[in-house]
Amino acid sequence: MINAPTRATTAEVTAIDTQARGPLLLLVGSGLGWLVASGIFALITSIQLHSPGFMADCSWLTHGRAEALRETAFIYGWAANAGLALGLWVLGRLGGSPLRALNWAVVGTVFWNLGVIGGLIGIATGDMTSFAHFQLPRYVQPAMLLAYGAIAVPGVLAWSGRRTDGTYASQWYAVAALFLFPWLFSAAQVVLLWAPVRGTLQAIAAGWYAQSLWACWLAPMALAGAYYVVPKVAGRVLPSYDFAPLGFWTLIFVGTWTGGRHLVGGPVPAWIATIAVVACAMLLFHYMVVTLNLRGACGTSGTAIRFIRFGLVAYVLTGALDALTSFRSVAVDTQFTFLASALEQLGLSGGVSMMLFGGIYFMVPRLTGRTWASSALADGHRWFVMTGVVVLIGALAVAGWTQADALLDAKVALSDIFGHVRLPLLVASGAQLLVLGANLLFLVHFCQSACACCLTAAPAENPFRQPSTLEAPAS
Amino acid sequence: MKNGPLLLLGLFGALAISWAGIVLGSHLQLGALTPYYDDSEGKSFPELAPGMAARGQLVYADLGCAACHTQQVRRPDYGSDRARGWGERQSVARDYVHQARPQLGRSRLGPDLTNLAGRKPSAPDAEDLAKLLYLGSPTHPGYSFLFDTRQVVGEPSAKAIKLTGKLAPAPGSEIVPTERAQSLVAYLLSLSTPYDYPESRPVPRPAPKTAPAKPDQKAVPATVPDVKKKAGEGKQ
Repeated sequence: MINAPTRATTAEVTAIDTQARGPLLLLVGSGLGWLVASGIFALITSIQLHSPGFMADCSWLTHGRAEALRETAFIYGWAANAGLALGLWVLGRLGGSPLRALNWAVVGTVFWNLGVIGGLIGIATGDMTSFAHFQLPRYVQPAMLLAYGAIAVPGVLAWSGRRTDGTYASQWYAVAALFLFPWLFSAAQVVLLWAPVRGTLQAIAAGWYAQSLWACWLAPMALAGAYYVVPKVAGRVLPSYDFAPLGFWTLIFVGTWTGGRHLVGGPVPAWIATIAVVACAMLLFHYMVVTLNLRGACGTSGTAIRFIRFGLVAYVLTGALDALTSFRSVAVDTQFTFLASALEQLGLSGGVSMMLFGGIYFMVPRLTGRTWASSALADGHRWFVMTGVVVLIGALAVAGWTQADALLDAKVALSDIFGHVRLPLLVASGAQLLVLGANLLFLVHFCQSACACCLTAAPAENPFRQPSTLEAPAS
Repeated sequence: MKNGPLLLLGLFGALAISWAGIVLGSHLQLGALTPYYDDSEGKSFPELAPGMAARGQLVYADLGCAACHTQQVRRPDYGSDRARGWGERQSVARDYVHQARPQLGRSRLGPDLTNLAGRKPSAPDAEDLAKLLYLGSPTHPGYSFLFDTRQVVGEPSAKAIKLTGKLAPAPGSEIVPTERAQSLVAYLLSLSTPYDYPESRPVPRPAPKTAPAKPDQKAVPATVPDVKKKAGEGKQ
């Protein structure tokens, strides 16, 4: 079954894209806004780590609340909006006809983002749920579920009304993300908020949700973009494509079982952690297939592909390190330290974010029908954000390593550990500032490009364009 | 994968299986866990926290204290938890049966708080905790918004925190913990796991050359006909 997207020299039909321009640009724009907001919260939490008194007087921004705000703005603001835009676009394009019912998506986007705003205000005023990756207060969650349903309508219609016989890997990932989020979001709401399970079962259910969110939503959204862009830009069929379905189903079936690895040694049944260790090892097959399929990203140039390459490396590294740190003998060191934060940043800022950036750099020129406004801004964003993320993860890893070593030695007081990790944490704050600056640059660049498209009539006489004409100035 | 409905069914099934396996499976195992009734003591453990402490847990959760503090002690041979004095035994699921929202935590920037009130040789008292919360320390933020600075009218409040030197409030005024701070302190002072359940004892290490036993298997039925032991120190 070789039905990967064919050579990118095939003319690209932008007529499909022009109708989706407004709604999808709205999604991307709000996503970028949230990314910058999340960067501000990340900077605050990072400073608080080495200077605990920072903003301590402000009850809205205690370290715990700022941390929840950062995480929520990143996942439900940035990744959700940008990932959905990319997913809908991919489904529309591969479905072979313009997206329908986009009004639903616009209404959904508005209400989803209102939900995120309400959620952040709720968290800041003390209504967070205190479950990792599920901090949105309970009163905004049902509305957000409905809003999500509305955003997904065009995707569902594009999937059910597709004109092609075969389906592509990026479609599977996009459909999986679209369908599975409401499933797991509502299941988690029931067992954690409306009819909460007792005691430490909540930690188990929250771990299941956080991991399923990664395996069934965040990763598939990012991979949907990567599986679409890489063959398009590389201009050839994906290698080892026969393995792609196996890789996909491994992620969906096995990925959701890995949540218990954070509960190693905790007050839960031992099989929860054991099964997570096994699942983490099995999941390596998925990462291997992704590497095999998308290895074409190496040796190809272009802004989009460079981001995706970085994202893929980070994504695969995340998988390998997840498996390594899930073992009990390793987890005894790494649990509860900055190494866990470093790993989370590697997956989210390094893997998912970068692949979404790549997808956006590829998608937006095709939506607006014109190239990015400035190649200097694109290059600046790329250099700053990549340097920032690498330094951030490196600094957190050094801090985590030092902390892990010292925590095991009961003679080292906690206050001394604080002194040892201060320097790497200062570096991490600098890196957060760099990432924030880079993402601000990207937001400005995106606004420039989107406004240029809205202010002047689109020169869309000829709907057939060569991809090279759209890529060139930003690469 | 040409068959759309089959794909959706597969997706639905994959998540349903893992949900049933992890969430429902552990619920079947632990959902009916009851407090442990001790005949010789004539009461059940863990004991219900007083109302003030239960309210304090909400304050603990809404300030996000769990971002830096865990509330789970690992077994003695796994990590340095016991050596740091955080607890003599591992935490078990039964410790949390009365908690509306257990705050296990995922990061140890600060100390584990499972046994804060049972620390040896000396556990902090209400005054220490109120001062830490108000002033902070080089490693802990001070949350002055949890306190009111007000004029002394009549008798000074017994709850006012006693500060000296530069930190002392202006003459005629006092710094009094708000109700939230008082509940939080009451909660922190209620954190103690003095009772040893049968399932919480460390499994003795097997002799070398034999296969290692599963040391952190904790879930056992509620009625284990076993001798109970109470480590009766440090209970608030």
